[in-house]
Amino acid sequence: MKMTTRVAFDNMKYGKSKNILIGIAIFLTTMLLFIVPTVGKGFIDLQFTATNELYPSWHALYRNVDSDAARQLAAHHDISRYGLRSDAGYFNLKDARISMIYMDKEGMDLYKINLAEGQYPGEKDEIVISPGILHELGQEGGIGDTITVPYQIFRGGELDLTQEKKFRISGFLEDNDAGLEQRSYTALISEAFLKEEIPGEELSYRFLLQIKDTGDPTTDDLEIKISNIAKQFGISENDININSDYLMANYVDPATLPAIVIIMVIIMLAGAITVYSIYYVSMSQRIQEFGKLKAIGATRRQIRQIVLREGLCIAALAIPAGLLTGTPVSKAILKAFTVFANRDDKYMSVLTELLETGKVSIGCWWIYLLAAIVTLGTVYFSLIRPMHVAAKVSEVEAMRMQDTVKNRKSCRKGYEYLSVSRLTWRNLTQNKRKCLITILSMSATGIFLMVVATVMSCANPKESAGSSIVGQYEISPVIEENNKEHPERKWTEIQKNNPMDETLKSQIEELPGVDRVDAFTNIQVTGEPFDEANDVNFINGIPEEYARELEKGVTRGEATYEDLKSGDKVIIDRALLHWYPDLDIGQKLSLTIHDGNRSYNKKIEIAAIGTYGSGLTNYAYLLMAKEAADSLCENNSSLFYHVIADQDYDPALEKSLRDIVKTSGRLEMRTWKEQYDQYKSSMAITSGACYAFLGVLAVISILNLINTMINSVHVRKKELGMMQAIGMSDSQLMKMLQMEGLFYTLGTLVISIGLGSLAGYPVFLYAKKDGLFEITTYHYPLTAAIVISVVLLLIQVLLAVGLSRSVRKNSLIERIRFSE
Amino acid sequence: MKTDSSKILVLEDLVKYYGSGESLVRAVDHTSLEIERGKFTAIVGRSGSGKSTLLHLIGGLDRPDGGKVWIEGKDIFSLKDDRLAEFRRKKIGFIFQDFNLIPSLNVWENIVLPLGLDNRKLKKQDIKEVISRIGLTDKEETMPNALSGGQKQRTAIARALATRPAIILADEPTGNLDSQTELEVMSLMKSCVTDFGQTLVMITHDEMIAQMADRVIEVADGKVVNC
Repeated sequence: MKMTTRVAFDNMKYGKSKNILIGIAIFLTTMLLFIVPTVGKGFIDLQFTATNELYPSWHALYRNVDSDAARQLAAHHDISRYGLRSDAGYFNLKDARISMIYMDKEGMDLYKINLAEGQYPGEKDEIVISPGILHELGQEGGIGDTITVPYQIFRGGELDLTQEKKFRISGFLEDNDAGLEQRSYTALISEAFLKEEIPGEELSYRFLLQIKDTGDPTTDDLEIKISNIAKQFGISENDININSDYLMANYVDPATLPAIVIIMVIIMLAGAITVYSIYYVSMSQRIQEFGKLKAIGATRRQIRQIVLREGLCIAALAIPAGLLTGTPVSKAILKAFTVFANRDDKYMSVLTELLETGKVSIGCWWIYLLAAIVTLGTVYFSLIRPMHVAAKVSEVEAMRMQDTVKNRKSCRKGYEYLSVSRLTWRNLTQNKRKCLITILSMSATGIFLMVVATVMSCANPKESAGSSIVGQYEISPVIEENNKEHPERKWTEIQKNNPMDETLKSQIEELPGVDRVDAFTNIQVTGEPFDEANDVNFINGIPEEYARELEKGVTRGEATYEDLKSGDKVIIDRALLHWYPDLDIGQKLSLTIHDGNRSYNKKIEIAAIGTYGSGLTNYAYLLMAKEAADSLCENNSSLFYHVIADQDYDPALEKSLRDIVKTSGRLEMRTWKEQYDQYKSSMAITSGACYAFLGVLAVISILNLINTMINSVHVRKKELGMMQAIGMSDSQLMKMLQMEGLFYTLGTLVISIGLGSLAGYPVFLYAKKDGLFEITTYHYPLTAAIVISVVLLLIQVLLAVGLSRSVRKNSLIERIRFSE
Repeated sequence: MKTDSSKILVLEDLVKYYGSGESLVRAVDHTSLEIERGKFTAIVGRSGSGKSTLLHLIGGLDRPDGGKVWIEGKDIFSLKDDRLAEFRRKKIGFIFQDFNLIPSLNVWENIVLPLGLDNRKLKKQDIKEVISRIGLTDKEETMPNALSGGQKQRTAIARALATRPAIILADEPTGNLDSQTELEVMSLMKSCVTDFGQTLVMITHDEMIAQMADRVIEVADGKVVNC
């Protein structure tokens, strides 16, 4: 063994306690550097595999494609696979929704639809159904048996009158849980039936396609090709549906690469700062040791090599340990995600199954290699400065050195009177650089933590639910514009005999738990500047209770609720600008107002533009005072009753409302709870992943505090013993260590929470602009700030108690003699 | 309770052993001793004779396996750790061979540190007097790293004197000093003890130094062999 390696190895054994600390730091850093990409990749892999198992495999579909265009598209050189689907109509059943769909063999493959038994329908009267459909029909039968089906076919853009036909069951599909719960099913019909029912000129297909894999296309490449093909065939953008989930799962999204790189850089930085800080703090106490080595003839290069090899020796033990521990921990974290997400649906059960059966392997060779290389790199990077310092130290200076602090002033004004707190402050100011490095490295993570927490606190399922529905329950009439079977469901027909009357309102208001009912008016309008005659828009008559919210949402122009009472002015929702970007303040819209059988023209001015939640607008983007909207109609134009209840979720009230809706037969209801559950479940995984990632970073960061405090005590063991010899009591020692820790903690908290809060706001604005997590309102991440503060303070208290105990483990005499 | 007020320190059958079996070291072996107030006592003995252990036990830095130490009539080992620390800072001043100054504090701060730990009101004039007595008036703001060995030990002496303790314990205080400085420091210590009316117990293996004491106690194999 070379002399330098020998010395380095012996040094490592001699300074066991110091090196164990460094080893733990490298071990944890390796483990965390391994866990983060492994969990990230593992989760993406799991999602992608689950997506591949469950989602259709078509890249895109074009709607409204006629037979000729379908034939031509099939021959396109960029399309590798294609299939056809056509939605013929629905079974006419009261509560269940059963689609009648034709799909060719390729279409079935692309949708991953497999028959549970039997065969695809070929003849006009053949049909494939599921046991659930039979149940809804109230009939029984097996393959070859005949069933009677009442159905409505799409003809001329609307659902035609109900027909009845006998079908022979040719096969069965399996029901899925979501379908059974929502009473929504699919029945497959034959091409012959489709062509018989729908005239050739009206027959249109959904053209399902896969793009040819040439090279290594990204999702962007594929989307461009899909769009180009559509343009060649005159297919409008609205008729393109891209299967983004499938594309994301199978092709590289160019946006994910920089995201992965940024996350990895953040981890590397956190790791590098921590390891560097640990080395910086730990190495400074060993200057004298290197001075002695130099004195007996070691060259600068040899000293550098000793420092480097000692570090690498520790890394050689700590890195494999970190990787080995990281593997089961990553798996446990992934498992915890699936439990935490708590989604009782097929997607999640597939995800869990994939994880448990090991179909998706956790961790791959390049992550092991990457984590090892990055940790080695950070160790090397962290050693550069100590190597330099150790090599540069003068033999004589180092031998004389009684303590660890270099370039000490020979004279300094001091306190006239010393107390424990002043003593603490003296020590901290004496080690300014060490304090600064510890605080800054912890704060870097803290700031990042606060910024992400800001985004996560703004992504609040309660708020998203509140934004998508006003009050706790929303009751409205069932509207169906294009169904010959139910002409009474047209809005203009409903206006003439609207179930949303005062009786209903009073009935709801009388229910226990209801505070009030707010009625919103809805008026159908067409005309300039809306492009086509059939582009229907609505004026939304908003009650005075929402005047403040309406005025507050104005982002351009000025309009008070009073202005909107004239009936000549509206505020438009910014969302409308997406389709009509030329609309501007002051512009007069020439509208045709539809009121029952009556229509008339009216000019209405855009007074202002604002941003509002979909709960308030109900996707009717011309906003007016309710009393003005009511005055524009002779008929009852109440479309929504928003029920404001005293509790967000009250099962008894919900049941009473559902009973009213059911009894009426003409009403439907949305609830705040449904919206909330939906948002909560979709945000759970994202926030779980984010907070786990943040937790991991916090652990790296806290390691810094632990190391600095341990070192601070280790280096001063003799000094502390000395102070105790001349009369410092154990409780005073404890107080001093507490105050030192408190300084690091408060320093970190002030910078992290201060700068983190400041930096969080622009990030919130960016997230809001980009529609990230449907964020609308800024929320200060108070919980995160409190959790960070409490955790740091708690760790610091525990650390001080632990350190004070460990100091007391040695007798006072041992401590005083520590350096001898 | 010992009532003789002239005896500031009484050791009663003090025992401290290290190790066990064949490697048992009888550092202090059934030692009893009385030391009078206001006297300079030197404890001498060869290296390994147990004199340092004896001093540590007297100062309450270590706890004995048996026996008692009475300082000003107080059985110090009947006190709990925190109370013992409090007793130490009030009643005992230490001077160590390697000075043991706190490197982050200047000379003044090192001297007033025991007072600060005791939350005692500072009599600035008294401290100034001690500093002037040890000849470090112009070094009050100097950091320990800028002091010579002699200056460091003077600071340590001032620190021990500052609280006006009942007894000052010195563990080979001149061991790290050259012979010229050694004499200076010893003279200073002796005169300070006299001037401030303190009791000094000092261990040394230097016969010359021991000759300066009012009383010399010889220790061998953990026992007092001559006093």
